[in-house]
Amino acid sequence: MENNPGISWLNDTDTILTFIKKVISELPELRDQIEVLEEGDLLFLQGEPLEFMYLILEGNIQLTRTQPDASEDVLITLGAGSFAGLIAFTTGEPTLTSGRITQKGVALKMRPQQFEQYLNDHPRLKHPLQQLMLNNMIQRYKSNLRLQTKTHALSKQLNKERNELKAAYQQLETTHQMLVHQEKMATLGELVAGFAHEVNNPASALMRAAENLIDIYAEFENSHYSYQLFRLGLHAEPVDSNTQRKRMHLIEKKYPWVYDRSSVRKLAQMPDEALDLIDKHRKKGEIDSLVNHFEAGKMIHNIRIASKRIANLVKSLKSYSRQDQNKEELADIREGIRDTILVLSNRLKFIDVNLELDDIPKTCANIGDLNQVWTNIIVNACDAMKGQGELTISTQEKDHTIVVKISDTGPGIPEDILPKIFDPNFTTKNQGAEFGLGLGLAISHEIIGQAGGSIMAGNRPDGGTEFAITIPVRDDC
Amino acid sequence: MDHKIYILIVEDELEVMDALVKDLEKFETFFPVETANDATEAEEVIDYILDHDHKIGLILCDHVLPGKNGVDLLIELQQNPKTAISKKVLVTGQAGHEDTIMAINKADLDHYIAKPWTEDELEKVVRDELTDYVLSNEDNLLYYMQVLDAEKISDAMRKNKMTDH
Repeated sequence: MENNPGISWLNDTDTILTFIKKVISELPELRDQIEVLEEGDLLFLQGEPLEFMYLILEGNIQLTRTQPDASEDVLITLGAGSFAGLIAFTTGEPTLTSGRITQKGVALKMRPQQFEQYLNDHPRLKHPLQQLMLNNMIQRYKSNLRLQTKTHALSKQLNKERNELKAAYQQLETTHQMLVHQEKMATLGELVAGFAHEVNNPASALMRAAENLIDIYAEFENSHYSYQLFRLGLHAEPVDSNTQRKRMHLIEKKYPWVYDRSSVRKLAQMPDEALDLIDKHRKKGEIDSLVNHFEAGKMIHNIRIASKRIANLVKSLKSYSRQDQNKEELADIREGIRDTILVLSNRLKFIDVNLELDDIPKTCANIGDLNQVWTNIIVNACDAMKGQGELTISTQEKDHTIVVKISDTGPGIPEDILPKIFDPNFTTKNQGAEFGLGLGLAISHEIIGQAGGSIMAGNRPDGGTEFAITIPVRDDC
Repeated sequence: MDHKIYILIVEDELEVMDALVKDLEKFETFFPVETANDATEAEEVIDYILDHDHKIGLILCDHVLPGKNGVDLLIELQQNPKTAISKKVLVTGQAGHEDTIMAINKADLDHYIAKPWTEDELEKVVRDELTDYVLSNEDNLLYYMQVLDAEKISDAMRKNKMTDH
C-alpha cells in the first residue's frame, strides 16, 4: 500500500497550524473570530459554564485549578495548536479549570454550534481540525499518564515517610518509657537511701541491745552453770521440726516425769552438753529455771540473726539502687550481681543459685542500670521456673569483653516469640502481674546498648533459657 | 480426755517458728502444738495426728513456703473433709492482695495475721478460733473454760442445758 504522506504531516501540529492559519486568512468570517490574547487576562473561570472554545494560534494559556483548601495548582500550560476549554466544550458542563493568559498571542474563538458549522462549511478544515483535536487528546492523555506515574511515586514516598514516622514514634515512645523508668529508679534510690537510714537505726538498736544483754549475762560468774547454759543457748543451731519431733520422743523417754509438752520441746532443742549440765545441777523443781537460761541465750541468738539479716538487706538494697544514677564509674560488675541476688532473695528463696563468677576486670559502667538488667532477667527466670529450679550466673572475660550468662531450668522461650522478646510492650504475663509492664527486656536491651554491649536470648539444648550479655571493658570514665 | 486437739504451725523459718511456738505455750496444756516446715511435712503430721484419733483444732500457716505455698495448702485442707472443720489462719508478711482474697474465698480462711504480730493479737485470734472450734465440735466444754473464752463457753453451756430439759 502506498505510504500516505497525509498521515505524517497531520501528525505534526505545526504543519496543521500553519495550514489552518492560511485557511483562516483566506476566510473573512473566520478572521472576525480571532481574539487577541493579552498577557495576564483571565479567559475563563473554574466552575463557570463555558461559552467558547479557543484554539490557540499563538501565545500561551495556563490552566489552573483551585483546590478545596483554596490553594491553586498549575495543571498545564497550553501553547499554539492546543484547544482550551476542550472538555467543558465537549461535555457541556462547567469548566474544571481556570485559564489565564501567560503569553500574549491570538486564538480562534468558537461557539459549539459554530464549530459544527465550520466543519460543514469548510471541508478543507474538517480533517486538520479533527486531527488537531486528536493530537490534543493524545497530549492530554500522555500528561495524564505522567501524572499517574508521579502520583504513584508520591504515594510510595508518602508511605515510606509514614513508616519512618511510625518507627520514629515507636523509638520516641521507648525512650520516653525508659526515661520514666529511670526517673522512677532515681526516686526509688532516694526513697531507699532514706528508708535505709531509718531502718538502720532500729536495727542497730536491736543489735546493740542483744550484745548488751550478753554482757549483762557475762557478769554472772563465768563458770556458773546458768551462764554456761546461756552460752550454749546463744550458740545453739536451730532445729527443724522433724528432728525436733524425734528428739521430743527421746526426751519423753529420758525424763518421764516431765509431762508438760512445752518443757519437753525446750529440752529437745538442747544439745547433749546442755542436757548434761541440767542433769548435773537440777534440784527438785528447778528444771524450768535452768531451761530458761538456755532459752534466754537462744532468744538473743535469734535477735542477733534477725537484726543482722535486716542490716544486710538494707546494705544491699542501698548499693543495689545506687543513688548516683546516670553516672558511670569504674566498678566490678560482679558486686552488682551479688547485690541483685541479695535484694531478690525473697524470690530466690527456693531456687538453687549457682554463681560461677570468674575474675573479670573492672570496667566503666552504670552499675545501678546494669542491676536493672540482672533484675529483669532473674525475675523472668523465677517466673518461668514457677519459683523452683536452678539459676546459673557466670561471668567471663574474652578479648576485652565481659560476658555475663544467666540461665534457668524453666521451660524455655517458644521459638516463635524469641525474636520479639526485646520489643517494648511485649509480655507473656497477664495484666496486673507484679513485674508485667512488658518493658523489662526492652529497657534491658536499651541499657546494654548504651553500654556498647549486646544482649541475646536463646534456649539451651538441655532445656531452659540462657541470656548472654556482653559488655566491652572500658576505663575512660 | 481420750483425744487431744492439736494446734499445727506451718512455717519454714526456724527463728520465726520458735517465736510462734513460744507465744502459744500458754495454750499447750490443753492444745498440744505440732510444727511443720513445709506443706508436705504438714500433711504427714496431720495424717499422723488423725490416725491416732486426735483432732486438729487450728492450723496457723505461713504463705511463702518451699514447694506448695500456704494458701494452696489451706485450700487443700479445706477440701479434705477430715480437716475442713479445723480453723485456718494465714500468718504472713507477704501474701499479696489476690492470694489473700483467694484464701478467704476458697480456703474459708478464718483469720489473717500480718507479720510482725504482737503477742496479744496472736493470743486473741488463737483463743477466739479455738473457742469457736470447741463450741461446734466438743461436748465437754467445761474442760476448756479456763484457757479459752470463758464467757462464750458458759453462755453456750447455759443454752445447752436449756435445750436438754
